[in-house]
Amino acid sequence: MNTLSNTSNDLVKQAGEAGNVAALISDLQQLLPASGLIMSTESQRPFECDGLAVYQQLPLITVIPETVDQVQGILRLCYSHRVPLVPRGAGTGLCAGAMPHAEGVLLVMTKLNKILHINQHTATARVQPGVRNLALTDAAKPMGLYYAPDPSSQIACTIGGNIAENSGGVHCLKYGLTVNNLLQVTLVTIEGKLITLGGDGLDEPGMDLLSLFVGSEGLLGVVVEAKVKLLPRAPRVQVLLAAYDSVTAAGDSVAALIAQGIIPAGLEMMDHLAISAAEDFVKVGYPTDAQALLICELDGTDAEVEEQLAVVSQCFKLHGAKNVRVAKDAAEADALWQGRKAAFPAVGRISPDYYCMDGTIPRSKVGHVLTRISELSNTYGLRVANVFHAGDGNLHPLILFDASVDGELERAELLGGDILTLCVDVGGTITGEHGVGLEKMPQMPYQFGDAELAQFRRLKAAFDSEELLNPGKGIPTLKYCQEYRSLQHG
Amino acid sequence: MVDLTQQLEDQVQHAYVTKTPLKIQAGNTKAHLGRETSGEVVDMANHTGVVSYSATELVIRVRAGTKISQLNDLLAEQQQRLPFDPPSFNGEATIGGTVAANQTGASRPWFGGVKDSLLGLGLINGYGEAMQFGGQVMKNVAGFDVTRLQCGAMGSLGLITDVSIKLLPEFKAGHTVTFEMTAEVALEAMLRWANLSLPITGMSHFQGLLYVRLQGGDSGVTSASNFLGGEQLNFVAAKEFWQALKEGRLLQPTSNQILWRWSGASDSPISAVSNTSLINWAGAERWILETGSNPPLEGLTQHKGGDRLAQVFGAVSPPQQALQQRIKYAFDPHGILNAGRLYSWM
Repeated sequence: MNTLSNTSNDLVKQAGEAGNVAALISDLQQLLPASGLIMSTESQRPFECDGLAVYQQLPLITVIPETVDQVQGILRLCYSHRVPLVPRGAGTGLCAGAMPHAEGVLLVMTKLNKILHINQHTATARVQPGVRNLALTDAAKPMGLYYAPDPSSQIACTIGGNIAENSGGVHCLKYGLTVNNLLQVTLVTIEGKLITLGGDGLDEPGMDLLSLFVGSEGLLGVVVEAKVKLLPRAPRVQVLLAAYDSVTAAGDSVAALIAQGIIPAGLEMMDHLAISAAEDFVKVGYPTDAQALLICELDGTDAEVEEQLAVVSQCFKLHGAKNVRVAKDAAEADALWQGRKAAFPAVGRISPDYYCMDGTIPRSKVGHVLTRISELSNTYGLRVANVFHAGDGNLHPLILFDASVDGELERAELLGGDILTLCVDVGGTITGEHGVGLEKMPQMPYQFGDAELAQFRRLKAAFDSEELLNPGKGIPTLKYCQEYRSLQHG
Repeated sequence: MVDLTQQLEDQVQHAYVTKTPLKIQAGNTKAHLGRETSGEVVDMANHTGVVSYSATELVIRVRAGTKISQLNDLLAEQQQRLPFDPPSFNGEATIGGTVAANQTGASRPWFGGVKDSLLGLGLINGYGEAMQFGGQVMKNVAGFDVTRLQCGAMGSLGLITDVSIKLLPEFKAGHTVTFEMTAEVALEAMLRWANLSLPITGMSHFQGLLYVRLQGGDSGVTSASNFLGGEQLNFVAAKEFWQALKEGRLLQPTSNQILWRWSGASDSPISAVSNTSLINWAGAERWILETGSNPPLEGLTQHKGGDRLAQVFGAVSPPQQALQQRIKYAFDPHGILNAGRLYSWM
């Protein structure tokens, strides 16, 4: 899987000069205290990959700044010495977007971890990028507020990383992704300059640079401060569980519910393999004979939730749910969610390795795509468990494999690639919320044409003309695309 | 129902070769916004029609010249709506112009702006290349977000040819209550209520009255209305008020006046934005009608009236100006698209 990263590293090695590196390290030592520099192989080991551990690479040097000044200094040095730089938050990403560069600096942002201000009146928070997603929600809790984007890594992942990836989560169906919950970002450019995008208000005059920056995967700049929206906690939250005899029926239920105009706070789906694995692991009473489960969360005032509850239960039953369970209290609601939240580690228990995909498709195509994935699973001889955000059509097929068996990793990768191109074929995308990173570079030329890719590259150059920020990720080069297409057609 | 993409591409390609400035136009309803530009007109008005509409998916894709008024009618047939509720400017505003000028109605704080509902778009850049970004699905993080970048760009980065929008179901019930209040008291009330998880879709203060609009399911709206109290506004009057607000009819500058727009933190005191005539978006948007050409405060947008060759969108920091110029170059190297429409230097 790391053939691509080797290629890009070789190119940089050829371009780089050994003298640059020695001078850079010396300058970094001047800039940072000894505790902010990690150079030994052993100490750098924990940083060699992000959440997608099959891609690994030790950086040249790891730096852990504590102030915005230091971040600016680091970028200035990388720019003047023409050395690549890879920014990293908690390293929970799932696309190898934070995999270090062999000849570059790894910039770890976790020590800029202060919540600078929470404004209860405006329901906003100013935070440093290393603040953990859940830590922000916890801090806002006494004011009756919370931060809506809730990726499953929220206990560890950082706001800076969320901005880089435009993270979503279970509740983004109703409350949006990071891009919908962000008001302002202060970033450091590769030249070390500070630029603020967005503002204190709900919109700013001119082109929407803030939205462009969100999800740019560390290719355009490094976030040093963000202002995010917080939401009031709903007075009532109600969770339902519906069991089905087929994934198609569950998929149809989702489409029917949305079509009726109900937008739940969350609407998740698990297939049989995922249900069994989760139930074995957390024992929350999931019906293990079901072929598919829907977990639906409704929120609002009492009156609103009561009104929706009746419609949702009826809709699920009408579309084939053999059993609809309404959580009696908060404890039961938590238990129902627990199985979904533990689904990934649960699948990890039944297979030595798994590979998590992230395609998004039109909701009406869920049944068709799951059937096709099942066929592909048989063709490749690898099991696939499906756990996903059904409400917004964001699939997370988990491909089960054993990396110690010769060829299984490569087969898993090929199967994953086929699933992503299938998503594009039905009008969807190769990534809904995990990002392209290094992992999905091969599928970029499948989703985009040459003109779009060239436009992306020109945009990249507008921010980073020397291509020093997270090079080799996110946006394939022209040469890469040509090679990819000749391989596909060759 | 005409697809003029090829013709539009040809026109821009020719302009690229000949370095001819182009002025993008459809309903021409937003000439009062932004700066004046001149050039050969690219007429988007006939590039119209629905490319696809899946009511069950709550997604529509339409060509840029399609009128907001027609779109609203079409969606209403399926009990659906545009979440950002843009003005239709006498029925002539188009969806392309609405996206380019980032036009959002009173529900902005609760249902988001144009960018929050925009899933994808087609764009012809300054080379005359037709491209597609985003798509019709709910979540998509592949590549840079060129789609949302266009919101507010006033056509300076490309001709928007089609847009894909996430829709929402029409509200089942609606209700407006009013309160006689000074601006100061109204602002306090707005800040308090905005954080209460109520089905509010508008809070505005105008001429001594605070208007609160509730929309949603029947019982949710009724219980919220009982909770808030206030004076009930009859259906016709409520509709007229919110319509007039959205269409910009509440404040009309005379020939020697300028209408200024302030967008900022909703808890900024009334005294921080003096002479406010209208508060919208629960305090986050305020409007000031002034005689004379000097901005009453820094950071305001010269919304309507006055010299349209002034820097109407306000000042930009030097590093950001340089960045925006490089972005403009990345899309439109010859600077032929709506030159100067956004800033004099772009």
